[in-house]
Amino acid sequence: MKLNKLLFFILISLLVVSCSGGGGGGVGTTSATLSSIAVTPLTPGIKTGETQQFAATGTYSDSTTQDITTSVTWSSSDTTVATIGSLSGLATAVAAGTTTIRATSGSISGSTTLTVTSPTLISIAVTPAIPMINLGATQQFVATGNYSDSSTEDITTSATWSSSNTTVATIGSSSGLADSVATGTTTVAATSGSISGSTTLTVIPVNVLPITVNGSLCSSGSYPNKPCVKVKICSPGSTSSCKTIDDILLDTGSYGLRIFGSLLTDISLTQVTSVTGGSLTNCVNYADGSANWGPVKIADVILGNETASSIPIQIIDSTYGTTSAQIRSLCGNPDVSPSSAGFNGILGVGLFTEDCGSGCVSDPNNGRYYSCNGSTCTATTASLSKQVKNPVSMLTIDYNGFIVQLPAVATGGATSADGFLILGIGTRSNNTVAGITAAYPTDSTGLFTTEHDGNTYSSSFMDTGSNGLYFDSSIRQCTSGTAAGWYCPTTTQSLSATLAGYTASFSIGNASTIFNSYYYSPYYNVFGELGAPYGASGYFDWGLPFYLGRSVYVVIDGNTVSGIGTGPSLAY
Amino acid sequence: MKTGKILCLLTGFCLALTIIVASQVHATLGESASSITVNKKALSAVKSTTRTSSRYTVHEFQSETLAVREYVSPSGVVFGIAWNGLSHPDLTPLLGSYASEHQKAVNQTRRQPGRRHVKVKSSNVVVEKWGHMRNLQGRAYAPALIPQGVNTDEIK
Repeated sequence: MKLNKLLFFILISLLVVSCSGGGGGGVGTTSATLSSIAVTPLTPGIKTGETQQFAATGTYSDSTTQDITTSVTWSSSDTTVATIGSLSGLATAVAAGTTTIRATSGSISGSTTLTVTSPTLISIAVTPAIPMINLGATQQFVATGNYSDSSTEDITTSATWSSSNTTVATIGSSSGLADSVATGTTTVAATSGSISGSTTLTVIPVNVLPITVNGSLCSSGSYPNKPCVKVKICSPGSTSSCKTIDDILLDTGSYGLRIFGSLLTDISLTQVTSVTGGSLTNCVNYADGSANWGPVKIADVILGNETASSIPIQIIDSTYGTTSAQIRSLCGNPDVSPSSAGFNGILGVGLFTEDCGSGCVSDPNNGRYYSCNGSTCTATTASLSKQVKNPVSMLTIDYNGFIVQLPAVATGGATSADGFLILGIGTRSNNTVAGITAAYPTDSTGLFTTEHDGNTYSSSFMDTGSNGLYFDSSIRQCTSGTAAGWYCPTTTQSLSATLAGYTASFSIGNASTIFNSYYYSPYYNVFGELGAPYGASGYFDWGLPFYLGRSVYVVIDGNTVSGIGTGPSLAY
Repeated sequence: MKTGKILCLLTGFCLALTIIVASQVHATLGESASSITVNKKALSAVKSTTRTSSRYTVHEFQSETLAVREYVSPSGVVFGIAWNGLSHPDLTPLLGSYASEHQKAVNQTRRQPGRRHVKVKSSNVVVEKWGHMRNLQGRAYAPALIPQGVNTDEIK
């Protein structure tokens, strides 16, 4: 009994103690009232993007204190500097400045000042990365600052620019605009305080165009073995109304420059008039069944830093001049857009000067030139001067031909391959005829004869626009999957052929393996061993794989180059 | 009438009817040799020649920039056409009643960029194109109409 009484007393005491503990917190008490709120930390400072947790401590009329962080209402006087969760007290810094952080409960509040400072610069990225420009050209660089809060900012005009080799290129110290002085390389740096970033600028001769096979000059949605260049198009005679366009397919199998009109809407070009007074319009059928349709216009075409002045080019426009039904009847299946075609344009720099030649001068039913008037297009002749021109043939100095120089790629493939299109042959110190083992003329349509494995291919041609080696052979073919119809020998075949009497070696690999490394890791794009049947007897299409690891010289029709001969001729 | 034409194409048996029905259009493949005159005019040919072998006759028309050869069986039906020149000819009149099925097949054919040869097969006609800018070539043939003993490679 006595023991029971004692236990009861202890229980009651515990209850009272716990109740008075709650009363100290201002909850459930009737006597103590909130008299003030203190906000901590007292004078916090953070950088943009960072956060700060605030705490509120209430002091009561009975001098007790309590953490009331989650029961007050939080606010920031300047939400452009920092925002704060009204219930949580967690502040997020937005921009440099100060703001008053306030905690309110009823009529009582407390506050402190939050100072937000700018984030610190951690690194500088200079773009474009590793650019190449022609002698005489300029390059605008951009500096992008990376900050402690993970933000980035264009600091091109606030950074200080320098060039390590001012005999190659100078650079505006506050503009980032580099000006080429001589061929070579220099390191271009952008500095801010103690932080700097840099890249290498290469200045190449005026007659050189970089080629990337599936590299930076190609669109991302390309196909294997696609060689890309960039060209600059200007309104005739203008140096300011210009546009530089990349993802242009380098095609030694066609003649003339063709660019989608949708990319040239802001440049004024002159329409070529047909012999009957209409708008001269061009149709090119390709052997893959596609076609390009559109008007012929005069433009200045800049290759490297050389200009082909006022030359006819084709503006690709599948809706030009007449109804789509008539265009289909006149020109097959014309390419509609860069994405459907797989390129922004085609630079046809093959063996000839015009895309048609004498046949279109005399025969209106040539299938290539039309005169569009009102909403009808009719077959027409086109004089040589009005035909779409191989731009190389229209250069002032380097018109006699060109060299396509591409590196060899490892067996199995490569992600990309970078090479050069060098304009002119034997006209400058960088395009002399050197190291060739074969030189021969083609026939009047660009063909020569290949002998291979006992077969004669009398219709052989060289074509960077073909992405494989196409010839009919008894090599085993894949029968299923994406490689169906391509050559699939169990092991890579090292082969040889005689081209116009000159022996050349080449390889044919397993297309199933090749496409596997194209569609899946390591996602290669460039293959030296890709081959398939051509599909017509007597044809041997020496496509892009032939060019890998070679310098192929093309002498344009009518020109004579010492050491090679008179064009149309090939050498390598 | 149109349905009748298509059905008939499937059987050599109905060829005579096809010829009668289709002779009003500028068409060739699967039709009588008389449609050749129409094509000669359509192609503005300046020259035409005829070669005859025991298995078929070849009529060739040449303009300055395009040559078209039509292969006619002993029974008088055009079973194949081949061409070469600066451009591919408009196939619609040349394919005649086969043109629409060919166009459908073309629309369904995935583009193979980088190739210089294309073969489009539909139920009753095969069309192939190849070559290069200054000499494009092609052929079209109706496999069911090819006379016995003639190889498709002879259509060139």
